[in-house]
Amino acid sequence: MKDEWDVIVIGGGHAGIEAALAARRKGCSVVLISATINRIGEMSCNPAIGGIAKGTIVREIDALDGSMARSADATTLHFRMLNRRKGPAVWGPRVQSDAAEYASVQQLYIENSGVEILEDEVTSLDGLTEKVTGVRCRKTGSIKGKTVVLAVGTFLKGRLFRGDELWKGGRIGDISADSLEKDIVKRMFHVERFKTGTPPRIIRSTVNTEEMEVQPSEVTDFTFSYGKSRQRDKEEVCYITHTNRSTMDIAKKNLHRSPLMAGRIEGTGPRYCPSYEDKVVKFPDRQRHRIYVEPMGCESGFFYLNGLSSSLPREAQEKMVRSLPGFGSAEISDYGYAVEYSYFHFSEIDDTLRLKKTENVFVAGQICGTSGYEEAAGLGVIAGANAGRTAQSLEAMSLSRMNSYIGVMIDDIVNKGADEPYRMFSSRAENRLHLRQDNADRRLYKTADMFGILSGEKRDLLTGNMKEAEIIRNVLEREMVDGVPLSKWCRRVGVSAEKAIAATNSLVDKDEKVLMSVILDEKYSGYIDRNLRRYESRRNLEKISLREIGSFMDIDEICWEAREVLERRKPETLAHAEKLAGVRPTDLQGLLIYLGRQRSTWNNSSPELVRSE
Amino acid sequence: MNSISAEIICAVATPEGTSALSVIRVSGKGSLELLENIMSLEKNRLKGMRRAVGRISEEGRIVDEAVAVSWPEGRSFTGEEMVEITCHGIPKSIRKIMEILIRNGARRAEPGEFTRRALANGRLNAVQIIALAALWDMEKDRKVFIGETEESCRELLNDIERARETVEGIIEFGETHLDGDDENISSVFNELIASAKYFTRKASYIEKISRVMIMGPTNSGKSTLFNELTGKNGALVSDEPGTTRDGSTSYLELSGRRIQLCDTAGTDGHGLDRTASEAVIEGLDGTERVIWMSVGGKISPPDGLRKRAGEIIEIAAKSDLIDEKEIEQLLNISSVSGEGLEELKKILSRVPGSMSLSGAAERIEESIKESHNFISSQEYDIAAELLREAEIESRRIVGKGENIQLSVERALAGMCVGK
Repeated sequence: MKDEWDVIVIGGGHAGIEAALAARRKGCSVVLISATINRIGEMSCNPAIGGIAKGTIVREIDALDGSMARSADATTLHFRMLNRRKGPAVWGPRVQSDAAEYASVQQLYIENSGVEILEDEVTSLDGLTEKVTGVRCRKTGSIKGKTVVLAVGTFLKGRLFRGDELWKGGRIGDISADSLEKDIVKRMFHVERFKTGTPPRIIRSTVNTEEMEVQPSEVTDFTFSYGKSRQRDKEEVCYITHTNRSTMDIAKKNLHRSPLMAGRIEGTGPRYCPSYEDKVVKFPDRQRHRIYVEPMGCESGFFYLNGLSSSLPREAQEKMVRSLPGFGSAEISDYGYAVEYSYFHFSEIDDTLRLKKTENVFVAGQICGTSGYEEAAGLGVIAGANAGRTAQSLEAMSLSRMNSYIGVMIDDIVNKGADEPYRMFSSRAENRLHLRQDNADRRLYKTADMFGILSGEKRDLLTGNMKEAEIIRNVLEREMVDGVPLSKWCRRVGVSAEKAIAATNSLVDKDEKVLMSVILDEKYSGYIDRNLRRYESRRNLEKISLREIGSFMDIDEICWEAREVLERRKPETLAHAEKLAGVRPTDLQGLLIYLGRQRSTWNNSSPELVRSE
Repeated sequence: MNSISAEIICAVATPEGTSALSVIRVSGKGSLELLENIMSLEKNRLKGMRRAVGRISEEGRIVDEAVAVSWPEGRSFTGEEMVEITCHGIPKSIRKIMEILIRNGARRAEPGEFTRRALANGRLNAVQIIALAALWDMEKDRKVFIGETEESCRELLNDIERARETVEGIIEFGETHLDGDDENISSVFNELIASAKYFTRKASYIEKISRVMIMGPTNSGKSTLFNELTGKNGALVSDEPGTTRDGSTSYLELSGRRIQLCDTAGTDGHGLDRTASEAVIEGLDGTERVIWMSVGGKISPPDGLRKRAGEIIEIAAKSDLIDEKEIEQLLNISSVSGEGLEELKKILSRVPGSMSLSGAAERIEESIKESHNFISSQEYDIAAELLREAEIESRRIVGKGENIQLSVERALAGMCVGK
């Protein structure tokens, strides 16, 4: 053990792994502490990575040189590009992974990176909250670190529920970080409770898949990684089945035994990832719900039932499972359960993922109030990179919501907060046409380089792609189709990237993936520019402070409705005021006039409305 | 000084209507270059604080001759690069110049945006603010919005939100959780387009009643056309108070647009007729549209009329009597056969594009229609973007703030999804 580490990472899940690796790439000494080191990188819930927006996050992680994309590529069993017929900006790559293989590949990355792994339970932070000196562990005692990354997932005072059963744990078979939670509460951090859940796993040999619809894998040369990684040969299919009337009846009959309905869980669950019993309550008219039957691994003897998350008692789960077509005599290997855990209220976190009360503690993953592997890993990279930068006395950095889903996510969770576990959706991003899965490498290159977390190999690869893109862009501007440059022609309704490529023969020697991506940049550029301009003008309004206004009710320049809204909400800047319902553009102008008048009576010089930065 | 916005904005700074001169202001980085381009000035001609005379032309046709005065960044009213164009005060050419500016990268300024930029850049001093405030107080009294129109925009906004919910739902969950739930998308769009059209009509209706004069030599069929438009086919709304039905003025509504239609005496008449006709031409203020009709389109409108009318629609009348349609580009009308009438009505119901509210309404309608096209070509991503823009625009109109996340949250909340 070293005397003092640059970065201490607590937790070896998707967030902790990326945080440790990012800090390591930054050149820091890193120790990763996990209570169960052989479960590092485990897929605690579904054996899948990606999806709409989530798949794009995975590619962003790769652009930042993280490991999730490469590990997903290496362990793919089944692949689909979701939304193929909805437009390339919303394509969502998604793979089924071999869960066991995935964890071991991730563990290998950690081992090879030079991150030290320590099996222990962290019981508290050490030192003053304003500037911690490290952490205290149950067995090892004090460990000194310049910075700490908390990536403890659902382990902060984790409570597991199933029917009347209740036990401590962040996940089945694991401990709960009760001491650490106590320490955090004692240090006056504002934490709240969320809940989530997982469906039962089924013994594969007891299921008759012939009664189910087969969903084959797509054949493709897609990879999440922009590097040279290849997808593993795809050897699995998924199945689709549906719940029916009797599944619903069983759930209804047992509702009173659900810990949630019985009021034993206080935390809010994810609206977009509800348990089956939630769905029965919320959508009573809908008898049929789709269930995806997903293999847990290539040689794994288990199925994951995507769509049947439940914390009902064992016997109810058993009956529900057996009511599904093909599952008549199915045996459950692991029953579903719910987990309730503490997370940091959004007001505690800044946009570099640092806890505001401290100089050197960063957070990532579910304790920020998010849900999902991809979300966690994305936050992990940023928290790890910033912890590394802070340890090296460099300034922590933030991402823009214009450039990445990770930026959108951080902006959302630290500024708006969430009243349920935050899941990424493409519709959360106003600049969605730019935030595509095909261009994450070029979108984030500058950021990644500024963070200083690119390996030499990755940087060469990315700069190569940038150069190729530049060459292609020149060709697109030069080549004429129907009397207009190809770069303009491709913006027309119904012109796909393939069509645009086929319209000329001067692009045949170009890298196909980069080529498609650059054409899409051009295709969407009008909308993207408009969004950027809108964003910029919003930021300008942010510079105008309203903090000196005592009462909005006395401002004659604006209408009554707006006065009331403003008085109630007390916006700090003009940008904030603009977002409020009931405030019109004319009211904003009125506010400006008012501000100007005030200034001119306060001092007779030129008013300085713009806050100096 | 931190110069701010990247966006170029433009607005007419002088009041609507005909005047000797009018001023259009353009502000934002790139304004100078934009003006150099459209006035065919050499590069950097406007760099610094300069003044240049040039012709603004479009497709080879000169729209106006104008003076451009430029200010460099940091020294203008807004603190940004800025140009003031002094042009002739003819509504039609002002409109054209605005269109040209917009087509070349500027956008119409929002109410108060110049002032806002000036303030944001720390450019206004106390005196200027007080002067502006006085203007502002006057402006406040002017009521822009009328209940029914606002209501129609609120309804439109509801429909846009609903369409966005549907489209976003399909994007996020269509593939994994919906079984053919997207079939109702065309009915959602049909309703949406209908309410967008309705709002456009309402918006243009309240903004301006357009005056249309029917003029031309005697016996060219003016009165017949007048009766055709007002009597048989035009929906007669009401008579002008104080005039009789057989007089010369009537109100009609075409596609929701209110039009005041005036029949006039022949321009080639004698005595009293001639005096009346000259008085009509004298009385034009440049906002009227004139239907000029002559048999077979053989007689051109007099120069005096060309100068005073806002727009002239030339018509070749009695086309059923003419064997050869000699002048192809004119609209051929026959009251006997009914030829050309529908097209004329379409032209008359067209909305002038410079109005702020109807301009916004048209943009919303355009975005929605385009969005529908992109849905048809399976480009949901762009379709959704266009709907979002339509929503932002309509939210601005009804003053609902720009927090448009809500509708999406609602959409997703209604979805039954999850693992």
